[in-house]
Amino acid sequence: MKKLILSTVVALAATILAASARAQVVVIANPSVKASGISKDDVRDVFTGNSSSLKDGSKVVPVLLKDGPANEAFLKAYIGKGDSAFRAGWRSLVFSGQGSMPKSLDDDAAAAFVAHNAGAIGYINKATPHEGVKVLEVQ
Amino acid sequence: MKVLTAAVYGCVLGAAATGYAQSLDDLNIQIHGYATQGFLYTTNNNIFTANSSDGSAAWTDAVVNVSAQPIPKLRIAVQGRYFLLGNSGDAVTLDWAEGDYKVDDRLGVRVGKVKTPWGLFNEIQDIDPSYIWSLLPQGIYPILSRNSFLAHYGGVVYGTFKLSPKLGKIEYRGWGGEGLYGADNGLFLDQTQSGINLPNDGVKGPLWGAAIHWRTPLKGLMVGASDLKDNQWSSTATQAGLSGTMTLSPNSQPNYFALYEKDKIMVAFEYERNWNNELLQFPGLPDSVQRADDRSWYAMASYKLTEKLTAGVYDSQDTDHQAPLGPPRYQKDWAISGRYDFNQYLYAKVEQHFIDGTTQGYDMDLNPNGLKPNTKLTVLKVGVSF
Repeated sequence: MKKLILSTVVALAATILAASARAQVVVIANPSVKASGISKDDVRDVFTGNSSSLKDGSKVVPVLLKDGPANEAFLKAYIGKGDSAFRAGWRSLVFSGQGSMPKSLDDDAAAAFVAHNAGAIGYINKATPHEGVKVLEVQ
Repeated sequence: MKVLTAAVYGCVLGAAATGYAQSLDDLNIQIHGYATQGFLYTTNNNIFTANSSDGSAAWTDAVVNVSAQPIPKLRIAVQGRYFLLGNSGDAVTLDWAEGDYKVDDRLGVRVGKVKTPWGLFNEIQDIDPSYIWSLLPQGIYPILSRNSFLAHYGGVVYGTFKLSPKLGKIEYRGWGGEGLYGADNGLFLDQTQSGINLPNDGVKGPLWGAAIHWRTPLKGLMVGASDLKDNQWSSTATQAGLSGTMTLSPNSQPNYFALYEKDKIMVAFEYERNWNNELLQFPGLPDSVQRADDRSWYAMASYKLTEKLTAGVYDSQDTDHQAPLGPPRYQKDWAISGRYDFNQYLYAKVEQHFIDGTTQGYDMDLNPNGLKPNTKLTVLKVGVSF
């Protein structure tokens, strides 16, 4: 019984932490991207280089954040990897000839890049001003 | 095929030059690289053409990668490498040089000198920053033959089909072109040491193959299979003033594999069978045939203990069913590994191997008193990537 209670508490804590991490960041896209929402699987696939389109067929080009609290929160909530492992995954694609490294920018620059480049998709701290982009609801 | 590769190489340089005239941002020109330095120590035999029983630091890899993306669907890239392991390598070689046109997620084409995507790890077996291990299982990914198996001249067609959420995704790859086993390939170590010389560009011939990866509905689980086929390859060979031929018979190399990666855990399994008959013919001498039927498998697992520290273990076994009974017929290798990432650029690895059998990685020049049936191998490595 004690084990069951402990497991439940740990699972609840993990869920709350993940939800808290998700609450700190928003996924944004250029208005040219048709979709208004994005699945968690698509977030993971697009930002790890496994896919360049969303379920509805919208083509997207990811932009990453430089390492910092918002980046860590995003990786924890959606990718399940730390920053080193995340970037090592991208470098594997580069060194094996399967892809290019996305740009890594600060919050403000990422928001501006997404606003001005068709198909761009990124993630930023929720508090960063993000006019000219659409916020995708992660389902 | 080399003309095609040269054209790709020229395009990269051209794109780079144009980039300075226009805007580097527009062409998305990127330069990346990594370098590793390893140290080997064995308790018994000398391994990988190094004086490892005395401790050897003769293990260096350095890679530079330049790419440009002039339009969203087209990427042009080239990668060069310096590789040294014991008495092998010590040269700068072209890893690959390709043009990659991706129509969409379902269809893309790479041409030039391209990575050959067989097995679970071949595309990344040389990319040390990608994984925890210092040495991948040698039965399937022998490091002394690595440079020959990494890439071929020709093309790869690739893509991903999303099935329904209940069925997951299918990734496919098909390839064809010309393969080349360089004269320094570990496959020819015995021949080289017995005085048989191959031309510098080694043995070459046509190859083709296909791979399927099924990303199953169970998150993190992928199962797959690939088959690499070679036609008959041949080359001139010389021995003690005689000129003859070396012929490799048509070869098939099926692999079956599974990979599970979720959160902090990685588990993988792979099985491969590789038939290889090698015929040497010199005028006035009887024909010499070497037959090999290697059946190899490994099971591996790793766990991320902290954000920066990962630990892993694998069991790898390789048996040559054409070899005489005894230690030269097999190799069993237990490996325990640890990796520490100081930051996103710098890491260190430590690995301990318990090797039983001698079918992989040994040469007799450095083991003149014969091979002992088992050895322990300690590996230390430090790497940097950008």
